[in-house]
Amino acid sequence: MSILKVKDLESCYENFRVFKDIDLEIEEGKITTIIGPNGCGKSTLLKTMGRIIKPSSGNVYLKNENISKMRTKQIAKSLALLPQNPIAPSELKVEELVSYGRFPHCKKMSKLTNKDREVIDWAINITKISEFRERQIGALSGGQRQKVWLAMALAQETEILLLDEPTTYLDMSHQLEVLKIVEELNREKKCTIVMVLHDINHASRFSHNIVAMKKGEIIATGEPKEIITKHILKNVFNIDARVMIDEEINSPVCFGYDSIDLEGA
Amino acid sequence: MNKDSLRRYSTVLIVSIILILLAVYVSLTNGTYDLSVRDILETLFRINPTPDKDLVIFEFRLPRIIVAALVGFGLGIAGTVIQGITKNGLADPGILGINSGASLTIVLFIFLFNGKLKGAGLISILSMPLFGLIGGLGSALLIYLFAWKNGRLDTQRLILVGIAISSGLGALSLFISLKMDAADFEMAAVWINGSIWGANWKYIVSIIPWLLVLVPIIISKSFVLDLFQLEEDSVKSLGVSTEKEKGVLLLAAIGIVSACVSVSGNIGFVGLLAPHIAKTLVGIHHNRVIFVSGLVGMLLLIASDFIGKTIFSPVELPVGIVISIIGIPYFVYLLIKSKA
Repeated sequence: MSILKVKDLESCYENFRVFKDIDLEIEEGKITTIIGPNGCGKSTLLKTMGRIIKPSSGNVYLKNENISKMRTKQIAKSLALLPQNPIAPSELKVEELVSYGRFPHCKKMSKLTNKDREVIDWAINITKISEFRERQIGALSGGQRQKVWLAMALAQETEILLLDEPTTYLDMSHQLEVLKIVEELNREKKCTIVMVLHDINHASRFSHNIVAMKKGEIIATGEPKEIITKHILKNVFNIDARVMIDEEINSPVCFGYDSIDLEGA
Repeated sequence: MNKDSLRRYSTVLIVSIILILLAVYVSLTNGTYDLSVRDILETLFRINPTPDKDLVIFEFRLPRIIVAALVGFGLGIAGTVIQGITKNGLADPGILGINSGASLTIVLFIFLFNGKLKGAGLISILSMPLFGLIGGLGSALLIYLFAWKNGRLDTQRLILVGIAISSGLGALSLFISLKMDAADFEMAAVWINGSIWGANWKYIVSIIPWLLVLVPIIISKSFVLDLFQLEEDSVKSLGVSTEKEKGVLLLAAIGIVSACVSVSGNIGFVGLLAPHIAKTLVGIHHNRVIFVSGLVGMLLLIASDFIGKTIFSPVELPVGIVISIIGIPYFVYLLIKSKA
């Protein structure tokens, strides 16, 4: 069953149309990853699904309810979005930032309930940031900071989590750490996750479904084995990819690639 | 950790209140006509009142101090809101053109009712803030119109547009004031530069309702202002109706600024300095910053008015100019610091 659905979606920046006629259904309880070259509209699609951008036409349905007719605070109880380059004042304490995630659930932010504190602690533990929960955001490394932001989104306690390039600017081990938290969340809490990733091997390893986009269109959707193929990668990224199945994780990996123009030269 | 910051907060509150009282004391006792504490207490508590002491205290010094305090309080809080919404520490109500919008309509008011203003009754003084509000709202409308982009208020554009509108409307005010007769012109010129020399009890009555209504609204939104310090996408994702909240906060700030401008003229820099000083003192949480910023503004204005009044006595320097003299070096300091 689809928990999040977009129909005939069109989004524009000023007069530039990013995409039109997009239809997509996100399966409940699954990890869906959107891949595609820079500027193909994947972030815009994610933001439109998360009502950060208003579509110029078409609708987004959250559990069959049109989100343009829902109150934004109500949406925030079922859907959290972590943007690409989140910013917070550097003097803010880790714990405080995480507690902001409780905003949609609170009547008054000055009084956190015991339930709120429990959720905050849970979010801090699952993202493994408890050792620096008292520190200021400004004193953290990029990888640590990303986990703190993830914790804030988790503290929102939503069924759906939208992540816009959650691994960008992180080193390899931090990338893996963040994605493993996401995976655990999906497994333990049955959280539906939609993310944008640039690393197709990560997309292949961590997703149930992949959506491949190019120039504002959805080229293909399906399981990693259907999408991470020589043919589709050529079509989407214009690369000549060498793909094989990694037996260890039972999903395709791209172990090398070349740009197609260069080969011709 | 919480205890520590709470202790710090209460220390700051106590110290600033003591400093304010000190400034009030100095302004009350010093001047062309020196008074002792005893004179003041005797006059205030009606123990041994004399007409000339009454005149100095109740007609000259006290209203002026109270107006300075209220205007400083209002501008400090409005500045905190504007900086909070724009996420720009160098923003201030003056930069956004709200001051000059309010000034313009008030100059227009002086121009239209020229000559009649000196004997103006309570009604016309009470209507000054309303006129100011029309101007403040007008310039805010212009700013919204130009800074609105892709269905949201772009805070970068907000500042650029504000600066342009500010100088445009400032020029217009000057143009109108040049068309006035000499006496009105002088009054308008002094008033534009931010002066509270004409303060009396009617001004106080006209400004208090605005503060009583709008300051609690702003304080109730202090957590939203905290959230606004994140970037916009995160704020929206947390379920804050960003445009609505920005609108309410901006309107409240404009209301306060208009009321302040209508009694004191165009006083810049308080809205810039006070929030910064407050944030250095009590951290970044708006539930504390807002109030402390008001107190700092209060102190700044009472002190600056006293300096302006006495330093070149008997000639008076408008308080707005004294504030600018203090403000410009601090502004430059902030620019250098933000670069590093």
